[in-house]
Amino acid sequence: MKKQNFQLIGRNNNKGLNFCALFFIVVSVLIIGNSVCYAAEADQHEGAQYFNQVCSACHTINGGRLVGPDLVNVQERRSDEWLGQFIKSSQTLIQSGDPQAVAVFEEFNSMVMPDAPFTDEQITAIIGYIEVASGGGEETVGDGSEDAVDPEVLSEEAALIETGAASIEKDIILGQNLFQGKIRLQNGGPSCISCHHVKNDAVIGGGILARELTTVFSRMGEPGVRAILGSSPFPVMQQAYLNKSLTDEEIFAIVSFLEQADRDHMFQQPRDYGVKLAGTGVVGLMVLLGVYSVLWRNRKTKPVNKSIFDRQGKSQ
Amino acid sequence: MEPVSAFVNLYNNFFFIALPYIAVIVFLVGTIYRYRSTSFGFSSLSSQFLEGKKLFWGSIPFHIGILVVFLGHLTAFLLPKETLLWNSEPIRLIALEVTGFIFGLSVLFGLVSLFIRRISNARLRVVTSKMDIIVELLLIAVVILGCWIALGYRWGSSWFAADLSPYLWSIVKLSPQIDAVSAMPVVIKLHIILAFIIMLLFPFTRLVHFLVAPLHYIVRPYQKVVWNWDRKAIRDPNTPWSPTPPKNN
Repeated sequence: MKKQNFQLIGRNNNKGLNFCALFFIVVSVLIIGNSVCYAAEADQHEGAQYFNQVCSACHTINGGRLVGPDLVNVQERRSDEWLGQFIKSSQTLIQSGDPQAVAVFEEFNSMVMPDAPFTDEQITAIIGYIEVASGGGEETVGDGSEDAVDPEVLSEEAALIETGAASIEKDIILGQNLFQGKIRLQNGGPSCISCHHVKNDAVIGGGILARELTTVFSRMGEPGVRAILGSSPFPVMQQAYLNKSLTDEEIFAIVSFLEQADRDHMFQQPRDYGVKLAGTGVVGLMVLLGVYSVLWRNRKTKPVNKSIFDRQGKSQ
Repeated sequence: MEPVSAFVNLYNNFFFIALPYIAVIVFLVGTIYRYRSTSFGFSSLSSQFLEGKKLFWGSIPFHIGILVVFLGHLTAFLLPKETLLWNSEPIRLIALEVTGFIFGLSVLFGLVSLFIRRISNARLRVVTSKMDIIVELLLIAVVILGCWIALGYRWGSSWFAADLSPYLWSIVKLSPQIDAVSAMPVVIKLHIILAFIIMLLFPFTRLVHFLVAPLHYIVRPYQKVVWNWDRKAIRDPNTPWSPTPPKNN
């Protein structure tokens, strides 16, 4: 804006406008400039809002990796057009074979970034916010250090993290019960142990269809875990919780339990269900074969109509 | 990467959308056609008279096991909510899974016994068709994968109810949703694909006897078997024909 301002003033001076005209123009330029600045700020604010509502669960800007990559200065690595396409539908871009998209997908454990219902304008606002928050925009925010993300818009996140860290025993126990299904999820979704295992003495061995969650808290942090529980990016989990989403209280309790499980996992000695299940199966089969040979003992050794033959023999 | 991605899409669409519909259509049309054209061939062609002792250790474990395992799959498909409700108590979940696994092993034990019996007995080889061998090998493969899933991807009853039941219902409702099934591990995908292939081949195999199972045997009245005690007297032409019924056994 300043550059434009100087050019206008220079051109006006060259035309020899009088003082009043010059004053008038300067005031106009200031008003227009301010309006444009306000519009840009509004865009940034909107972008920040969307980023913190949706993206910040898995991404930071100069705060390190969470579920997804740190987006600081992402514009230096990818074009705005590419970012727009990826935000709109990462899977479409990955499935189209885009090498950069595939590389990111594979680098982050093939975790699917869900398609966000943003308009093109909203996506532009988000990209703009990322640029500004990275320190590369017209108005730098901070100095690129860990507080590069607008502290105001992250205050809610920070408050929740603080609350999570101070989880009380009651929530942990509720989380245990929800995790293993002793207390059913309010909206009827399957319990977590259907697919996930956690090394914890308080719960039975969980499923192994999906990833073990013992150290998920360390790997993804609370925002990541909460994000996945709230709106899972994984197709299998999406289907399982379709129209059966977890409530905020349930998410909080399960996160509390996972935090505790991560913290205490070194001291846990849960049973090994894999070997026991196999052993029980073999023993059970032996018992079952015994039951078969008792229940159908006649069929094992005699023809089906042997008793009739015998009776006929007696009569002769 | 593009061709690989396109191939994966194609493969998922074929095996989880096209194959189920092909299998169902061939199953229905083929079964009806075979029943109308060869009604007397609509059986398992029992070989019990040719060999009986080994048959016991194959037939009983296989049939009892497959009934329980099939009903288990059917229950999770038809009643997913109730299955999840049952599994909400960890002890019940473990009991269900262990029971399913034991009967799965029973199926495997029975099938392997039947296969060994069929290829090792000269009498049976005479009455064995290529399709008998193919379907038996397919069944063995699908059951091995099933037992592998029970151990390697445990608590299948829960995730089947949560993910595969909706997938199968989406097929029934002609609106296939394959995102979840496409993201499943290869072992589970193979299990599903082989199950559809068995369904596809069903009308051309001995498995058709499943559709004409003599279920009325369970509720039919007793058959009356009547004969004379004194067979010598019956054979004697001097014995007059008695108008009264003979003494029953």
